[in-house]
Amino acid sequence: MEDGERNGDAGEELKAQNQRAAVQFKAQHALVVAFFLLLFLFHALGIYLFCSGFLLSRLVLQDRSQCAVPPIEVQDEYTIGSIGSGCWHPKSFDKAVVILVDALRYDFTVPFQPQPGDDQPRHFHNALPVLYETAVDAPNNAFLRPFIADPPTTTLQRLKGLTTGTLPTFIDAGSNFAGTAIDEDNLVEQLYKAGKKVVHIGDDTWHSLFPGYFEPNLTKPFDSFNVWDLHTVDNGVNEHLFPLLEADMQGRWDVIIGHYLGVDHAGHRYGPNHPAMHEKLKQMDGILRRMIDKLDDSTLLVVMGDHGMDVKGDHGGESDDEVEAALWMYSKRPVFGSRDADSVRPPLTAKECAVGQIDLVPTLAFLLGLPVPFNNLGQPIAEAFLGPKTDFDDLAKVSRLTSAQIHRYQGQYAKARELDDFATSTTSLLWQEANKVYNAVRTGTGKPTSSDIANAFNAYQTEHLRICRGLWARFDLASMSMGIAALIGTFAVIAIYAHGIGADRATITPLLLAWGAAGTAAGAVVGAAVGFILSLSLVTLSAFGAAMGGIGATLVGLWPARKILRLPVPRTFWGGLCFLITLLLCVGFASNSFTIWEDEQLLFILTTFGVLMLGSSLGQASREDRVLGASNSLSFLVATRLSSLSRLCREERMPNCRSTYYASATSSTSASWQLVIPVLVFAVLPSAIAFFFGRTRNYEGIGVVWIGYAMRVGLGLVALFWVLDAADDSGWIPGISESSLKTSRVLIAQIVLALAFAGGYAIFVLASPLLDVQHEAAQPVDSPSPSSSEPLQTDEPIFTPLNNAPEKPKPKLIIYGYANTHGTRYLLLPTLWFLALLLLQKPMGQGVLALCLLSLLNILEILDALDQRHSPLGPVLFALLGSYYFFKTGHQAALATIQWESAFIPLKTIAYPWSPLLVVLNTFGAQILCAIAVPAIAVWKVPPKQPGVLGRVAGAMATHVLFYAAIALATVVEAAWLRRHLMLYRVFMPRMLLAIIVLLLVEFVGAVVALVGVRWSVGSVYEVFGWPGT
Amino acid sequence: MTTPTKPDTALKPGKPLDLLQTQPSLFFANLQPILLLGTLLLSFRSLVADPVNTLLFLAPTIAIVQALYCIICLPSTGDTATPATKPGQKKKTPRTQRQDIWAKVIPVFLSLTLTALLSTPLLYILLILFGAPLTTHHLHTLLLALHLALLTTPHLFYVHGLDATAWLRIASLHLPVDEVYGMSLGACVGAWLGAIPIPLDWDREWQKWPVTVVVGMYGGAFVGKLVGGYLFRGWRIKLS
Repeated sequence: MEDGERNGDAGEELKAQNQRAAVQFKAQHALVVAFFLLLFLFHALGIYLFCSGFLLSRLVLQDRSQCAVPPIEVQDEYTIGSIGSGCWHPKSFDKAVVILVDALRYDFTVPFQPQPGDDQPRHFHNALPVLYETAVDAPNNAFLRPFIADPPTTTLQRLKGLTTGTLPTFIDAGSNFAGTAIDEDNLVEQLYKAGKKVVHIGDDTWHSLFPGYFEPNLTKPFDSFNVWDLHTVDNGVNEHLFPLLEADMQGRWDVIIGHYLGVDHAGHRYGPNHPAMHEKLKQMDGILRRMIDKLDDSTLLVVMGDHGMDVKGDHGGESDDEVEAALWMYSKRPVFGSRDADSVRPPLTAKECAVGQIDLVPTLAFLLGLPVPFNNLGQPIAEAFLGPKTDFDDLAKVSRLTSAQIHRYQGQYAKARELDDFATSTTSLLWQEANKVYNAVRTGTGKPTSSDIANAFNAYQTEHLRICRGLWARFDLASMSMGIAALIGTFAVIAIYAHGIGADRATITPLLLAWGAAGTAAGAVVGAAVGFILSLSLVTLSAFGAAMGGIGATLVGLWPARKILRLPVPRTFWGGLCFLITLLLCVGFASNSFTIWEDEQLLFILTTFGVLMLGSSLGQASREDRVLGASNSLSFLVATRLSSLSRLCREERMPNCRSTYYASATSSTSASWQLVIPVLVFAVLPSAIAFFFGRTRNYEGIGVVWIGYAMRVGLGLVALFWVLDAADDSGWIPGISESSLKTSRVLIAQIVLALAFAGGYAIFVLASPLLDVQHEAAQPVDSPSPSSSEPLQTDEPIFTPLNNAPEKPKPKLIIYGYANTHGTRYLLLPTLWFLALLLLQKPMGQGVLALCLLSLLNILEILDALDQRHSPLGPVLFALLGSYYFFKTGHQAALATIQWESAFIPLKTIAYPWSPLLVVLNTFGAQILCAIAVPAIAVWKVPPKQPGVLGRVAGAMATHVLFYAAIALATVVEAAWLRRHLMLYRVFMPRMLLAIIVLLLVEFVGAVVALVGVRWSVGSVYEVFGWPGT
Repeated sequence: MTTPTKPDTALKPGKPLDLLQTQPSLFFANLQPILLLGTLLLSFRSLVADPVNTLLFLAPTIAIVQALYCIICLPSTGDTATPATKPGQKKKTPRTQRQDIWAKVIPVFLSLTLTALLSTPLLYILLILFGAPLTTHHLHTLLLALHLALLTTPHLFYVHGLDATAWLRIASLHLPVDEVYGMSLGACVGAWLGAIPIPLDWDREWQKWPVTVVVGMYGGAFVGKLVGGYLFRGWRIKLS
């Protein structure tokens, strides 16, 4: 009895000990996650500081132009200030119909010009001839001009430019998903204040920009982001616009703004060179012809594009194809003219006789008798004021008035910003010169004519515009330096955390976290106080204080552990190689060529790693390791080269690059043969993953349920989704309506997401390790028990000393899958995310993402064969893979390559916050997948009771983040250094934005998904095998 | 990263190779890298203008230089087994000159055959893996692979034969560096470095495929041979 009690006591104690260890592990784990979130905060603060100084800023002046207050004395008989006849100048039209055809590129409107080697018209050619025809047939009634947009070429930015006449700043580019009201002087507000009735029909972006200015009864907004829908908006605009042109609606409106979206959506969905685009443009042709018929004499008809589109039909950047839109004005009365006989016909390319989009603002203002908006920088378009007989008097007057308004604006802006004179001295000279010419003509002395006046004032406007462009590219160097300092500090903290600690880093993390958090709070307070005392920017200084205080305190927190610290420098061959490659990449980003060709570089680098790993595998002592390492290295090399065949070229790489991601270079749909890829992934991938699990006999239990059944079903549904999508695109199933196809597609997508996240996470959280436990019945003593894996036996003899009976044969417990319990258990997490990420990729992207997953598994095996699971090799390779497959899933470091349409895979309409989130998952799918797989490096094939697993996982994750932090730091410094470089906005800034977004995303996902996931996977293994560490 | 080898350890990492200690041998061993690099640099202009034909015409010349190098300077596979004489000590007086010549020409012939039929296809695949054009420029890449093979493998075949352990050591960088191995490694590193200038937007004629890689590997072979033969002789790269 006594022994039995002792037995029970020991059991109790063991249990309590286990419980203590479990609690300790969970607490430590939570603190490690919190520490990574603190690092995330440091990075976010640094990036905020840098961006607030780097991204362009322009002071918005609140002044408004008044009808009764012209910017300069008008010295002729005209009485100013009457809205009825025209504020500063006699008006030409009472009413206007302004039609905005979204993404109407200039070459859509002019006849195709055959050239050697390019003699076949595309689908977008010759489909919308009405503008060109009228401009040629009746040059006094219509003119057509290239209409150059100021990038970024997003609709929101363009609408601001087209109504305020000023230049956009980059910081607004991202706000396309949620526009905000314009708070500076603009045409719509001027119309509204003049008592004109403005009707708007179409794209609802206008309503977020000009809330409350439109006639509520007649206005009809439409959702603008459903880019899959080519016809709803256009049909809606027609339905509501044409009735207004009837005679009985006269007097109900003064200006109609109609915004058609079909052309833009056709571009986004199919690309310009597609029959759907041809149909769309022909439809627009018919609509415009009907409109011309209905027009009366006192109404001006304006048709324009707000931007163009690139060869794939996307826009947002500043390539020629994206900025070259078309502008056409039409009137039943002959009022237009041209400078000379040569410029009567519309130019055949967008390179000649172009006008700026901001020029529309003063032009429309004078034609409709409004004051020119205060912040306008454009000049009047000559053709609208020359008249049928080419009389320069009117043009001279409006040019002078416009320039005078610009001069007034310039004075106000200089006063508000306390600018010195040197920036404006050239403009002052030109201004004086123009006034001299004007006075000479007025007093009749000298030779100058009205046309010289117009030219002189235009010269002033042009120079002023040039100065403004330079001025608003002004960078706040102080804020940028603070940001860079914070990024460098954070980099140092992570480098020491990952490579400078010679003991279990999980045990000192709590100390670092406490110091870091306290330092952040104290730094924020100190920064705010300093800002308050010196009356500097509070936000900037407290952000800087928080970042530097936190970083400094974290480093101070290392002091007690100084004995185990060492310099974080590479000490092994692989460490040195990782360091060298990262350094080379960082340096390469200072060159636009290397940035443009980054995906080819990454292929080269990954292959270098692959070849060296192959070589190193061949040098392993044991034959088993040699075969394992070599076969996986070969598989890795082939997978990497295979996925390099998926390519999306950025514009700068033309003509040395051929895109394969979509059906053709001018399309954004997948080719039908590419549908084979999802089917292939469905057929092969689960078996391939099962093979990796099965190698250590871990393809057991819930693993079979998830990979063998659930995932296979999910992949099948993904393939089905894309087949239905292609069927919809090409009209394969004529019997079923488009809307029911869409409904079923969306439903399928939602089922896949539910399967991945609800089903997958439930399995991941609740599953026990993927082991096969077999009870072996008692056998006669003399027959040896066959066991292919290590048998686990309870230490019974200790507890059964009294049992003197002869040893009877006992049942045995055999555990299969002991060798890789941790690794396979954790791997469930990346695979469930993989399923969700896969759904959001195009068919080509699915193939390469599957190869990415296989490569990750290959690397895990190679690291085991080379015994390099604790070197930086794995985490850095994963980061390289993430960056590489970002490009291979059809992306580039350019705004135009964002696959917006991925927001509509599981949704029918825009829904916040899901739509932006889906686009993020599509864009950064590869980086997310690789980041989630990082903890597997540290736990792959380690014994179940290995101590210090958490510290190793944290080290791997820190190394992974360190790579992205290095890239972000390098691109940030290089963008700051090259801030006057010609390619800043095309190459360096997009790459920098990509780097900082990826850094924050990887850090966040790494902490919240990957490290949090470790708690369940490692915890479930410890539950079975016992908690170590006590 | 590199340490001097300790002879006769359990792993038997092998020994650095000694050249034949004859006057012509030492003379030609020093002449060979100059010949290789000189030939390339002299035909650089035509290499840029017409890479395919130039590489094709250069190949026999390079093969002959390499063959002569093997015959004159290197002990062949069979000889390595017999312990090499100490440097400085006169080599045994040659037995029958004629026999010796044939004993050398046949392995050289075999080495070159293996280079053409085994190394070249393997290196071709390797170049494709590294991102060489897959659908175009087949001839360019193939000739590049041939030249890379000529610079890296004939002397290795000649010295190490087809001994599997030796080749595993070569592949895993376990072999101690000597001038033969150094030249092969140098050519590979040079070719790797030679790929770097290709994407730059300098718009130079010589940036076209595969000129920079060819120049890189010849330069690399030159440097590798000197460094392997003198500076780092006997050192071993430690991968792990």
